[in-house]
Amino acid sequence: MLPNVERQTADVPKRALLPRLFNWTVWVAFLLLLYISVVQTEFRFDDLWGSTRDFVLFFGNFWPPDWRALPEIWGPLVETLVMAYLGTLFGVILGVPWLFWSSRNTAPNVVLMWFSRIFMTVLRSVPDLLYAAVLVAILSLGPLPGVVAITIFTLSILAKLGSEYVEAVDPGPLEALRASGASGTHVIVYGVVPQVAASMISYILYIFEVNVRASTVLGFVGAGGIGQTLFTYISLFDYPAIAVLLIITFVVVAMIDTVSAFVRARLT
Amino acid sequence: MAGKPHKPRRKIDPATIPPLPPHARRAQLFQYGVALLLVGLTVLSLALLGDIDWARVAGRLERNLGPFVRGFSNPDVGIFSRAFDAMMETLYMAVIGTAIGGVLAVPLSFISAANLMGGSRGAIPGRSILAGVRVFPELLFAIIFVASIGPGAVAGIMALGVNSVGFLGKMFSDIIESVDPGPGEALRSTGATPIHSFFYAVIPQVTPEFASNVLYRFEINLRAASILGLVGAGGIGGLLIQRIQFRRWEEISMILIIIIAFVVVVDVLSSFIRRRLV
Repeated sequence: MLPNVERQTADVPKRALLPRLFNWTVWVAFLLLLYISVVQTEFRFDDLWGSTRDFVLFFGNFWPPDWRALPEIWGPLVETLVMAYLGTLFGVILGVPWLFWSSRNTAPNVVLMWFSRIFMTVLRSVPDLLYAAVLVAILSLGPLPGVVAITIFTLSILAKLGSEYVEAVDPGPLEALRASGASGTHVIVYGVVPQVAASMISYILYIFEVNVRASTVLGFVGAGGIGQTLFTYISLFDYPAIAVLLIITFVVVAMIDTVSAFVRARLT
Repeated sequence: MAGKPHKPRRKIDPATIPPLPPHARRAQLFQYGVALLLVGLTVLSLALLGDIDWARVAGRLERNLGPFVRGFSNPDVGIFSRAFDAMMETLYMAVIGTAIGGVLAVPLSFISAANLMGGSRGAIPGRSILAGVRVFPELLFAIIFVASIGPGAVAGIMALGVNSVGFLGKMFSDIIESVDPGPGEALRSTGATPIHSFFYAVIPQVTPEFASNVLYRFEINLRAASILGLVGAGGIGGLLIQRIQFRRWEEISMILIIIIAFVVVVDVLSSFIRRRLV
């Protein structure tokens, strides 16, 4: 006799009610939010096609690129890279204590840990371009506000994701060190650092890539680098020169990304 | 050793220390090399940046720091409702931009996934498109959209959408490539067609991860949307940049408080949902 197939299919377990309800609420909430957003911003779907067409047609202005602009570009481009490099460097140096204060297993006490976490969350919620704009108003025009803005950004993001690496380390070596009488700093230097060094360096390289991209636009608010040159060209409607600038920036950023990705792949 | 118990730190004859094994010596040399390179780069960078007029910076700091601190500790409540409305517009921009990015990224991720395109060579065109889009920050896209279709929220939404496609397309294709082939094979061995196995084996595996990445991108887009106004692409940034130019710190302080509050609340909600998803 054949088994009764229909009865068997009736026994397929249903997923628990709560996760299903949760899924539905999230979807409904999302669609509602999307609907409100479209109504409020008066976004129409022909905008999607119309603006894409205008965007693509706009690239006609860029042709032919005016390569005479090339000598003017190298200086600001180097300044951009210098800003990204120094900002990353200072951010990492200043970020290391916050990183260990924010991690559950290395924080000296709970109060400092929560203070550090909340402070870093607040710092991180302000985009780097806003730091640059405010710092330009306080300090002066030029690369200095750019470096400081990137430093703040690097510091806050390193403390956040870096502390996740630190909290994931194997607690065994840390306990062994503490049992033999090592101080907090010793535990970090000899117990935590060897475990996280490779992934941390890889992560710092990634932050550097992000910072290179970010620093290309900081000049828009007067914080130095290639963005300032771009701003000048846009004000002059000098599209052929903008084309050269974008091509060169594209090539340099892509090169840095490739080298950095290669090193990161070797590290982990 | 037992001869001098009071002096544990006696001098060690260097000749008795065995030399480092070759691989450790190479690693050490490499580390010294990297350290030297970093020091060199730092010196070079500081030299290239050398024309900063520190006296002028100090003068500016002296003039601006007092008003800055005073203004920031007294946020101007008068601008609250205007700033709140502008921040809501920013939020709406981020929602639409993320939705556009999420929808368009799906087909692009299919043609960028090596396991769907029959090998890594077939995925090259899709991957290059996505990589090309990701090189430029959204602010650059916003500038070009503002120049081509005029200022306003639509330019900002489009900039966020284009940039999100680059990011999400890459994430989605990575997720598709890491799909466990087991369930699909199991389905096919019971006689399911490739379409069936796609819907019942691939889709259930990738949906939570797709959703998690879309939410993560939404967090990024909210931050990005709050600065797009600096180039005229809508949102709270426009309100902010005018006040920064006139150094109206009381109002800037209120606007920043609103931005931080929105970003933190969205981050907390989003990471709560993401934890439940994956």
